Amino acid sequence: MLSVLNGGIETVVEDWPGRIGYLDNGMSASGAFDNVALGLANLLVGNSPGEAGLEITGGYFEAEFGMDTVISVTGTDMKPTLNNQALPLWESVKVTKGDIIKFSHFGEFGFRAYLGVGGGVDVPLYLGSKSTCLFGSYGGYNGRKLQAGDVIRFGPVTQKLEALAGRRVKESARPRYVREWTLRAIPGPNASPDYLTEEGMDFLFSTPFKIQHSSNRSAYRLQEAQGLSFARPDGGVAGSHPSNVLDHAYAIRGTLNICGNTPILLVADGPTLGGYMCALSVINADLWKIGQGTIGRDFIKFEYCTQEEAIQARSEQRAWLSESSLT
Amino acid sequence: MQPKDYHVILDSLAEAGSRPQVLFRQAGDGFLQVEYGENPRFNLVDSFRVLTVNGAVKGKRIPGLFETVPGIRTNLYHFDPEVLSVRKLIGEIKEVEESISEVMEIEFESRLITLPIAFEDSETKKCVQKYVKEVRPDAPNVINGYNIEYMALCNGVSVAEIKNMVCSTEWYNSGNGFWPGGGFFWPLDPRRAIVVPKYNPPRTWTPEGTVGIGGPCLYVYPTPTGGGYQVFGRTIPIFQFSQKHPLFKDNPTFFRAGDRIRFFEVPEEEILRIYQHVHVETDYEYDIKSGTFVVKDWLDFYNSGSVQQEVGELLAKQEAGTRIAPKV
Repeated sequence: MLSVLNGGIETVVEDWPGRIGYLDNGMSASGAFDNVALGLANLLVGNSPGEAGLEITGGYFEAEFGMDTVISVTGTDMKPTLNNQALPLWESVKVTKGDIIKFSHFGEFGFRAYLGVGGGVDVPLYLGSKSTCLFGSYGGYNGRKLQAGDVIRFGPVTQKLEALAGRRVKESARPRYVREWTLRAIPGPNASPDYLTEEGMDFLFSTPFKIQHSSNRSAYRLQEAQGLSFARPDGGVAGSHPSNVLDHAYAIRGTLNICGNTPILLVADGPTLGGYMCALSVINADLWKIGQGTIGRDFIKFEYCTQEEAIQARSEQRAWLSESSLT
Repeated sequence: MQPKDYHVILDSLAEAGSRPQVLFRQAGDGFLQVEYGENPRFNLVDSFRVLTVNGAVKGKRIPGLFETVPGIRTNLYHFDPEVLSVRKLIGEIKEVEESISEVMEIEFESRLITLPIAFEDSETKKCVQKYVKEVRPDAPNVINGYNIEYMALCNGVSVAEIKNMVCSTEWYNSGNGFWPGGGFFWPLDPRRAIVVPKYNPPRTWTPEGTVGIGGPCLYVYPTPTGGGYQVFGRTIPIFQFSQKHPLFKDNPTFFRAGDRIRFFEVPEEEILRIYQHVHVETDYEYDIKSGTFVVKDWLDFYNSGSVQQEVGELLAKQEAGTRIAPKV
């Protein structure tokens, strides 16, 4: 277990793939915003890649370990320390009861760090997942982000701590963090020729969009796009703007909602249904990159992708998130 | 670089009899949207079809299909493309679509849920007061500290008539969304179709169980949340995170797509008593009757001369009301 000394900006319990099967209740999947960093953090400490860990957004999380165990930190480099000594990323480390872990703020690249713990974070499963849905205040640790005084329990570790410590993610298997994130995406369900013109779609697939400050775990708002040319004058019965449609379900996680002229990526805790068109979907294997996009700083660019390539990318990611990435 | 193909309609079925055209739209590598008709229209008949096909496809228990999310004229299929190819899924849906050609033949399972409602209760009045104080002091949709008089004004009817309209139709759920557990309910009796504009800007808080209308759609707020519908009363819990009450044992959500609800008026004390018996004593018995919705019967009712005549009268009142009601 660990005791939270400072919850930081936003630290939540998340697993992967999250809470699947409740979209028609109005409940999104939630889950780790960056499932690759969480997956590697888990593998390092001997867990399955989808086990629950702590997702640290922004930074300033601080905690004291209440037991001997093994941990790992992945994701953006928040200059973590253990008892004020620099703590390496992408590596499993043995900790002792009383050790204090501290994070500074998000690094030069990336926005979210993950803390993996031996045995995983032990919170009750809620509808099949340990993930927190901040938007709905359920799941994870009491449905909320962590705060000072919280005590987080860990699951049992079955292997010897000594054997688990000192494992590293191979240099070649570490994700590359950038300031302009290229997300592979598939057009639709509302694309050209009926909703946007071909030029409008070309614009979406060629323009880097800045991530807005107002982004969160439900929605990543991108900068307003004047180059979006709509193929119809209005939304008909659904409304006066051509981005309006009669309420339809959103293909979350990863669909690009067009609200007026603002493109919004609907992500982890996003709305399940609404009245705006969706021009494209980020492929499942690239969702993790959205979670590392720093708000107010980084850019997102969409790269055209086919269904076949997207399915291939799923199996490549599965191979990536395996013991073969460790050394 | 490969050429980009922006055509997203992977397959389609032509219009046949009363079946609208069916479009299969790609929505990423794990979702497929099925849409009725190329030109968006608002017609409950499309929703009845969505739910009928939805039930039949889910009944096939297709490996790799995670879930479906019905909307008013669309259904979203969520699947694992490594187990179930989109082509195979389309084939399975087409098979069902082709087996149901006539809308007149459609019947689907539909529970009738009877819910008490307290109109103009003190709790929902608090959220209107908060809105006026913190969000929009000059909100034109707030008259005498509440929304119900504005609703009456927009529809060219009295407050008593608004209450009567709410309680004298069944409300049909086309599917859940917006907030965990909330359903989108539409009046099955078109003579009771209250229409009001939504808040501008929205509220930051609405109490649990608040009943509101926005556009033609009725919504029950499952938990405290923001919202934009005009509020007029409060009903009993429809959602329980803790799942302590037996109704919520398997699922924190009460409403299902295809449900019908009917309201009857009670004093506020009765609503508060029931909250206690749902959330604390966990012994309240909900009034739920299983049933079948027969589209033919509904169409006969809907299209009958007397109903349509009253609809015309209501529309005239609403037109007059809309002219004099201040814009939000």
